[in-house]
Amino acid sequence: MEQIGLYLGCNIPLKSPDIEQSFRKIFPVLGVQPVDLEGAGCCPAWGTAPSFDLNTWCAISSRNITIAEEKNVDIMTGCNSCFGVLSEAKHFLETPATRAAVNGSLAKINREYKGTSDIYHVAHVLHNQIGLTKIRENLKYKLDGLKIAVQTGCHTLWPSDVYKVKEDNPYYPTILKELCEVTGATVCHYSRLEGCCGMGGMRSTDAEKSLKLFKEKLLSIKEETDADLIVTTCSSCFMQFDMSQPILKERGDIDFEPIPTFYYTQLLALAMGFEPQQVACISQIDRNPIIAEIQSDARRIKEGV
Amino acid sequence: MIIDQNKIDETIKIIKANGGHGIQKCVQCGACSAVCPGVKAGFPLLCRALIKDLLNGLLEENIENSSSWGCQACNRCTEVCPQGVRPQEVVFAFRRYQANELAFSTSSVTSQMNLYETGHAVFTDPKEARRKVGLPEETPTSAFNEAAQQEIRTLMDNSPMGELGLF
Repeated sequence: MEQIGLYLGCNIPLKSPDIEQSFRKIFPVLGVQPVDLEGAGCCPAWGTAPSFDLNTWCAISSRNITIAEEKNVDIMTGCNSCFGVLSEAKHFLETPATRAAVNGSLAKINREYKGTSDIYHVAHVLHNQIGLTKIRENLKYKLDGLKIAVQTGCHTLWPSDVYKVKEDNPYYPTILKELCEVTGATVCHYSRLEGCCGMGGMRSTDAEKSLKLFKEKLLSIKEETDADLIVTTCSSCFMQFDMSQPILKERGDIDFEPIPTFYYTQLLALAMGFEPQQVACISQIDRNPIIAEIQSDARRIKEGV
Repeated sequence: MIIDQNKIDETIKIIKANGGHGIQKCVQCGACSAVCPGVKAGFPLLCRALIKDLLNGLLEENIENSSSWGCQACNRCTEVCPQGVRPQEVVFAFRRYQANELAFSTSSVTSQMNLYETGHAVFTDPKEARRKVGLPEETPTSAFNEAAQQEIRTLMDNSPMGELGLF
């Protein structure tokens, strides 16, 4: 079975291990074996080394990448920020002077960056390597009739010139849309599709500005799609949608119930029949009703039909 | 406004040294600001406006402005810039100038300390949540790996960050 280095980052293994568990459940069934990158750390997050010194950023990123290089595997990240940070570091490391300086730092910890492992996002592996047909073949429940609004997140889209996998048009992304549609669900377009959710540095710098941006996006989803659920391939977007909808509701800033939100592989794991207690059990918003709907007997796909 | 060429030269030198190599290609068209989530959210000094100030030599004057820390590093600006400025790199170069002068929010210090101590910028004890979902309590990451933590500390100690007294 093909192997790929599973780069976990921070939020997924520490705060949302149900997302990590969803990776570990679905990928082997779909023919890709995730391999742990022992000792990998933070990518490092935008607010840390990248905000202080470019070469320190590249040194910490490349240390993570060398763990995959030693195992002769590419890297798959579940977190968009990790994908962006590692991809940009790899881009900077193409400059000979940067690579030489960074390898000077890495020599102190007996490592050398070679550039032999590529960086992919979970969505890229599912869409481009495994493919929609194989995903469809492994579904246990069909999601026909459910309406999904998708949130791709920023750091797999721009800047497209540093990414291994690019959308045809990053302002009109389709990878996540197609991954959702393969379950049978309907993915509704909305005008703020490519808009930022406001998580990340913006939220820690000015929570009110972040919420203002988030509310505009959320209202666009609600008014234009009336979606049953929101599905994202960014763990930061997931946190913003799951944490901030209840805040807006509590304040009376929205007059509708928070829309249940899933990381994509959680939805796929549910549709593939895995236990909700393992793959989708940590959230602020109550997801039990929609999970019961997804895994209802009426949706079960009959063998051989 | 009085234009001081020495201040402009010094500012451009500092921004380029911090990674904002494309700053002088800017023609102030504003495409970057038109797509910037930070500008949309109301941060006053990002993209075109920040680059304008920097090109006029206004560096120290803006050191306390927190707008750059509202940048999401999303790079919509880089994608649309017709001049190849890579505005996000200029915003981050300015942020690095601020950071190395310790002009940033104290809340940000926690992330640096977490990274130094655990290898994770965000750290919470994951054991209970991991047990609940059927995973080993300890992650395979640096969080429970002393050798990995020491490697990360060595990289940070031997960097310009190590001289700031943050960890």
